[in-house]
Amino acid sequence: MSDKGKDVDLTRAKQNTGVWLVKVPKYLSQQWAKASGRGEVGKLKIGKAQGKTVVSFNLSEDLTVVECSGEKVSSVRSPREHPFTMQTVGGQSLAVFTESSDKLALEGMVVQRAECRPAVSESYMKLKKLQIEESTKPLRFSQKLEKAITTNYKPVSNHSYNLEYEKKKKEEGKRARADKQKVLEMLFSAFEKHQYYNIRDLVDITKQPVIYLKEILREICVYNPRGPHKSTWELKSEYRHYKEGQEEEEEEEKME
Amino acid sequence: MTSLGSSSSSTTEYVVRVPKNTSKKYNLMAFNAGDKVSCSAWTQARMERDMSNRRIYGEEESQEGAAGSEFGKKQKEESRRKKYGIVKKEFKVEDQPWILKVNGKAGRRFKGLKKGGVTENASYYIFTQCADGAFEAFPVHAWYNFTPQAKHRTLTAEEAEEEWGRRNKVVNHFSIMLQRRFREQERGDDDDEEGEKGGKKKKKKGGRGGDLRIHDLEEDLEMSSDESEGSNGEDDEAKAKSKKDKGPKGKGKKKKKKGSDFEGFEDSDDGDFEGLEVDYMSDESSSEEEEQEKTKPNKGEGVPKGIDEMSESEEESEEENKNEEDAKEEEEEEDGKKTPVQVEKKKKKDSSGESDSSEDSDIEGEAASALFMKKRTPPKRGGGRGSAGSSRTGSRPGTPSIDNAATSNTLRAAANKLEQGKRQTTIPSSETPAAKRLKMEPSPQSSSGKSTPQPVSGKSTPSASDVQLTEDAVRRYLIRKPMTTKDLLKKFQTKRTGLSSEQTVNVLAQILKRLNPERKNINEKMHFYLTE
Repeated sequence: MSDKGKDVDLTRAKQNTGVWLVKVPKYLSQQWAKASGRGEVGKLKIGKAQGKTVVSFNLSEDLTVVECSGEKVSSVRSPREHPFTMQTVGGQSLAVFTESSDKLALEGMVVQRAECRPAVSESYMKLKKLQIEESTKPLRFSQKLEKAITTNYKPVSNHSYNLEYEKKKKEEGKRARADKQKVLEMLFSAFEKHQYYNIRDLVDITKQPVIYLKEILREICVYNPRGPHKSTWELKSEYRHYKEGQEEEEEEEKME
Repeated sequence: MTSLGSSSSSTTEYVVRVPKNTSKKYNLMAFNAGDKVSCSAWTQARMERDMSNRRIYGEEESQEGAAGSEFGKKQKEESRRKKYGIVKKEFKVEDQPWILKVNGKAGRRFKGLKKGGVTENASYYIFTQCADGAFEAFPVHAWYNFTPQAKHRTLTAEEAEEEWGRRNKVVNHFSIMLQRRFREQERGDDDDEEGEKGGKKKKKKGGRGGDLRIHDLEEDLEMSSDESEGSNGEDDEAKAKSKKDKGPKGKGKKKKKKGSDFEGFEDSDDGDFEGLEVDYMSDESSSEEEEQEKTKPNKGEGVPKGIDEMSESEEESEEENKNEEDAKEEEEEEDGKKTPVQVEKKKKKDSSGESDSSEDSDIEGEAASALFMKKRTPPKRGGGRGSAGSSRTGSRPGTPSIDNAATSNTLRAAANKLEQGKRQTTIPSSETPAAKRLKMEPSPQSSSGKSTPQPVSGKSTPSASDVQLTEDAVRRYLIRKPMTTKDLLKKFQTKRTGLSSEQTVNVLAQILKRLNPERKNINEKMHFYLTE
């Protein structure tokens, strides 16, 4: 078993604590998030009327202020009364488990399900209207500009990056043929790192003219025109051994 | 907490708190009511994330550098992906399923998959009542649906397809899983064990074919048949041996449970005879023995002939007599191995006879001895001789009556043979059959002299003489189209041939050895066929 498997703390589950699972509207949970102090958000009233259990939730006064994204000051307040609709758990056995950074614990079983509904009221309607307005606004919209923007594209004799490029090229100059030995050394060390190389990459690494480099390559390498490593060069089999402990000396000796 | 009293209703008020600083994330664990999960009954539980999807999402990078790598491969791959707009999904640990193990290794396992869309439009809160009577509400972070994971063996998709195709034929569904287990054992075991297995299989077959012979190992093993259909709650750690043992045992038990062993056995030919292939191909031990014993009486001759051949071939009485004694001696030796030996011998003789009847005379001596030997053994091969001869050589003219008289298959039970021997005195002769007849005539006499006379009518004719397990019949089938051993067995169902399953198997094996058909692999199954 992997170490990751955490033992689930079953102490609270054994107590057979029953919990309620309540579905709460989004706006209400947003209001609750704004709760202060100990987190009191309201009062829950459980009563019996005509033999049936009636549960209702009353939101605290100070939490009824609704923030809205628009500039106007909110004149809308969320409703306060929220009757709960009780439902059976049936069909499923629901358990609650908690996950904290270091452990898992089973908190209990759900004994009752409920839905929190807002009492239909004027304020609720207004709230909903507000929400709908917000949601219908498109994320992107086009806006007419007063003035044309002329700062973007201006004709230029030569672009700045172009100039840089040309300068760089001049500095580097043409690639000079270095000593064959040196080039071979460079190649071998390169092939130590990777098995397959593109000719372009080798030119960059060794900074040799292509023709010269190709001559050298033909000596020690083989070209793969096809296959998984298409158009790449790799060392000839006698020169390579891709295991631990590469010995360059051996390769050089062979070459000589 | 205030209580308001009123005449018709009473309400109690509770404060609801939403704690702000919980580091604990509350999640829901949903079980299906049908699974009957009771959290309070758990003694121990372990839970971990199922990371098996990581390799799909995470890009497995083969070792960088050194052999097999290209310079700049990573960048190339990345730019390629960008070019084609391939966007890989991230592997989020949070979204991975849970694996819940309850009550340790022997307990249940559950897999919990995250239910999407729970927190999109509405939030779920868990209301727990605190000591002070107030309610605390915690938001639910995620919802996981937990389903129990099966511990018993299940069929893979291919196997399920296969079985689906056979659903109309297979009645004994319990055998499906058993056979699968057997197959797995076969693949897993070494050759050494194969003989053992073969033996076990034979035992199993005997148990099935016979009247519910309880397997020896049944007492040793504990079979726990649980609610799942037929398959037993064996844990994954069952060793091969125990698996093997359980296999036949379970079969026996299931048969008992099912109560319709014969019926099931008959109809589920496909499953039942699956193990037979092993017998044919790999069961060298017995065949070797057969060979050895055969060579003995053959005195180093080429191809020994079967009873049928012997009956057909020309033989002289002197030789017969001489061989008789030899045969008898040897018969006495090989009490235990008679059946396979004889069948083997007979088959060989038969095959040779089939191909070239002129050989008959050459092998008379052997034939005689073999014939006698066979007769000696517990009545198994029976009157197959006569019938085999008659059925095989189409040249035998106008002897339908004889056929009926000695209609039993070539390789009938030994009892048949004895009876047949007696009956064959009446068989008419044609050139090749003549010799055989001659041979047969004295042989019944000799046999009757030696062995207790058996009721002639006994098993001479099969109850339903539609199908005889004769070499000729097999030939016909194989010429017509390639068949597997299973198919052949289906053709010669025990009800119709009157042979027991074991005998059918043995007989068929010998016939096949004699015929030496060509083999072809169709759909991964070995098919035999003859071209003529």
